[in-house]
Amino acid sequence: MIGQVVGHWRIIAKLGEGGMGVVYRAHDEVLHRDVALKVVKKSSAIDSSGRQSLLEEARASSSLGHPNICTIYEVGEVDGDVYIVMELVEGKSLHVMSAGVGLSPESVLRYGIQIAGALARAHDRGIVHRDLKTTNVVVASDGLLKVLDFGLAKRVGGGVLDAPTMSFSTVQGGSSVSGTLPYMAPEILRGDAADARGDLWALGVVLYELCSGHLPFEGRTGFEISSAIIREMPKPLGPPVPPGLWAVIQRCLTKEPMQRYQTAGEVQAALEAVQSGAIVTATSPDAAQPPVTTMHNVRHARVKKGDFLLLVGTMKGAFIFRSNAQRTRWELAGPYFHGLPVYALVFDGRAGQRRIWAATASYWGTMLRSSDDFGKSWTNPPQSPIRFPADTGTSLKNIWQITPGPADQPNVLYCGVEPAALFETRDSGENWSLVRGLFDHPHRPRWVPGNGGLALHSVVLDPSNKQRMYVAISAGGVYRTDDAGLTWTARNRGIRAMFMPDKYPEFGQCVHKITLHPSRPERLFLQNHWGIYRSDDSGDNWSDIANGVPSDFGFPIVVHPHNPDCVYIVPVESDVFRCSCDGRLRVYRTRSAGASWEPLMRGLPQKEAYETVLRDGLAVDAQDPVGIYLGTRSGQLFGSHDEGKTWQKIHDGLPSIVCVRTAVIEDGSIMPVEVSKATRAPASRKSVRASRSRRRETQRRAKRN
Amino acid sequence: MITFHIPAALREFTGGKALVEISMSESTVSDALTALWRLHPGVRDRVINEQGQVRQHINIFVGNEHIRFTGGLATRLEEGSQISIVPAVSGG
Repeated sequence: MIGQVVGHWRIIAKLGEGGMGVVYRAHDEVLHRDVALKVVKKSSAIDSSGRQSLLEEARASSSLGHPNICTIYEVGEVDGDVYIVMELVEGKSLHVMSAGVGLSPESVLRYGIQIAGALARAHDRGIVHRDLKTTNVVVASDGLLKVLDFGLAKRVGGGVLDAPTMSFSTVQGGSSVSGTLPYMAPEILRGDAADARGDLWALGVVLYELCSGHLPFEGRTGFEISSAIIREMPKPLGPPVPPGLWAVIQRCLTKEPMQRYQTAGEVQAALEAVQSGAIVTATSPDAAQPPVTTMHNVRHARVKKGDFLLLVGTMKGAFIFRSNAQRTRWELAGPYFHGLPVYALVFDGRAGQRRIWAATASYWGTMLRSSDDFGKSWTNPPQSPIRFPADTGTSLKNIWQITPGPADQPNVLYCGVEPAALFETRDSGENWSLVRGLFDHPHRPRWVPGNGGLALHSVVLDPSNKQRMYVAISAGGVYRTDDAGLTWTARNRGIRAMFMPDKYPEFGQCVHKITLHPSRPERLFLQNHWGIYRSDDSGDNWSDIANGVPSDFGFPIVVHPHNPDCVYIVPVESDVFRCSCDGRLRVYRTRSAGASWEPLMRGLPQKEAYETVLRDGLAVDAQDPVGIYLGTRSGQLFGSHDEGKTWQKIHDGLPSIVCVRTAVIEDGSIMPVEVSKATRAPASRKSVRASRSRRRETQRRAKRN
Repeated sequence: MITFHIPAALREFTGGKALVEISMSESTVSDALTALWRLHPGVRDRVINEQGQVRQHINIFVGNEHIRFTGGLATRLEEGSQISIVPAVSGG
């Protein structure tokens, strides 16, 4: 086309070629200035309606009139080809300028403010860029930054103008998604409609790239890049990148759009604040907000190496019981969160952490909080970290379960919530995201709430297979993923749902709790709403093991930490009368994987004791001998440090107990001990006697000294 | 000027202030709340849920009138309006 005249522009030279078309340098014969002229290929996957939309958007973009937006002079058609005439920007792209080493923080801030300002203008006019990247931003020879190709990417299905990086195109739900993969926001990859917040994600990618010289989410294949965008957190940027700038980037790169900045103007203001030396936090512009709440007028536990902790969640707050390794004398700390139900508690001691997680519920919403000093202070995040995305139309009611991820992934945790859903964090709770594979499951609309609400209350990891995980839902049943949460299948064959017309449905069972032993991860145990079950094939099939228990109705079920055939339950009389059978509080234990059960009662009230132990009210430790603990709805807390043979009352008069968890401090670090990963034979009577003998000898020596 | 009365449970997020004054001319309760959590972001998620709805057991009054009876969040405010955020009363 060199030498041809299009309109009143004479084409002088070819500047480049991309998936969408060819870019020429042209001369305006009327105004005597050079321009860039893009001719969109007929083969660029734009149909007639798409061409019309492109023309309309390009015309809208031409009215943006912002110094940092490349001006479009004219859009038209000649011989069926769409052409766009725009300002010729001669300079270097930010991609070229930052490649490999990055730019100084001062330059990043200067350019970032200009890009954010350009986005703010466009978004105010209803125009979303959809393909912001460093190759689309050019710094002219006079130092002025220009964002190119505003509003042009939307209708281009086959590629993107001048894209030297990997372009990505797919069709979801009949609509075309376009952009450049490493800059695409997670919600766009999931097929959601792109909005202005997708541009803010891309701006975060651009800022990261400018700071470091490389992309925050990389991979060898499109799949790896997509996976990183959806699941991974970017590697933190340290000095010379100032913390304030890194905080802005982090918030732009928050997976959930609702938790990002909501407008480009906010990003611009935050970058200007960093530029002027003001402090900017990642989560809140209110620097005066205390990030933690110190608990005054509360008795705290003095925890030291070798101590043992019981974490107790009640309907009126949380308590911490501290003991030494003997677990016979207890010091009470708390109450924490006066008056608030604490349904979920857990100790996370991975990677040397000393963190207690707690979920509080109140009129003011459900909050996930944590303490790194055994309850003296707790986070109180200004913004609720666990939130359903706007498109779900759903809001959080309760957090029922907090489950640390694998030991070698200390930043990973899961939360099971009501309404039934699973949330995941991969950065120690800074950001949580909804596990869409489960939330979008076609069964979900047909799950029905149990008495306690529609709750996902059990999250069980398979320690031998990081791709595999189980959840249990009341009343939805058991679901398993074998691909780290992307897809889920119901695993309820053999589990009875006596309240349903079909007694053995594919899903819909009211499962109360599930557990497994790490040494035999293919074997699971389950306490159902009527029925106690075992599966020996990873949940594919279940068989009833309620052989000789006074009632197969109950809530908790826990497995012995060292013996995969040993399981504990606390039956209640019936669905109608959810109290201990015959007024006798008894724990039942099987040491034969359910072939037979024996009552454990010594020290537990056996007369006129109408007690209920809820699904998280029973816990074991991994000490030698094993300890087992239960809390009742009447506020009694019992413990046994001989595997359930004898019980002692630890405390009476607590508020209604909903959750009991254990932890032990060892060698300066704290280990979670709900279930030991060690595979050991059950402690024999002989070994218990030997252990007691060693302990007595130690005590005698201590007295002598 | 619009004045918010902040309940004790939320003062952690207003720097301890029981009263928060906002310079606004004619506006709605919705506008005023948006201005409130621009100043004190921590208040937002305690008063409304992630879908933007006022939480079930939280009541908002303009003067002595519950906004439920005066147009909800679209209730018009006048110069000097007093807005109270009040949790529901219940037992258990």
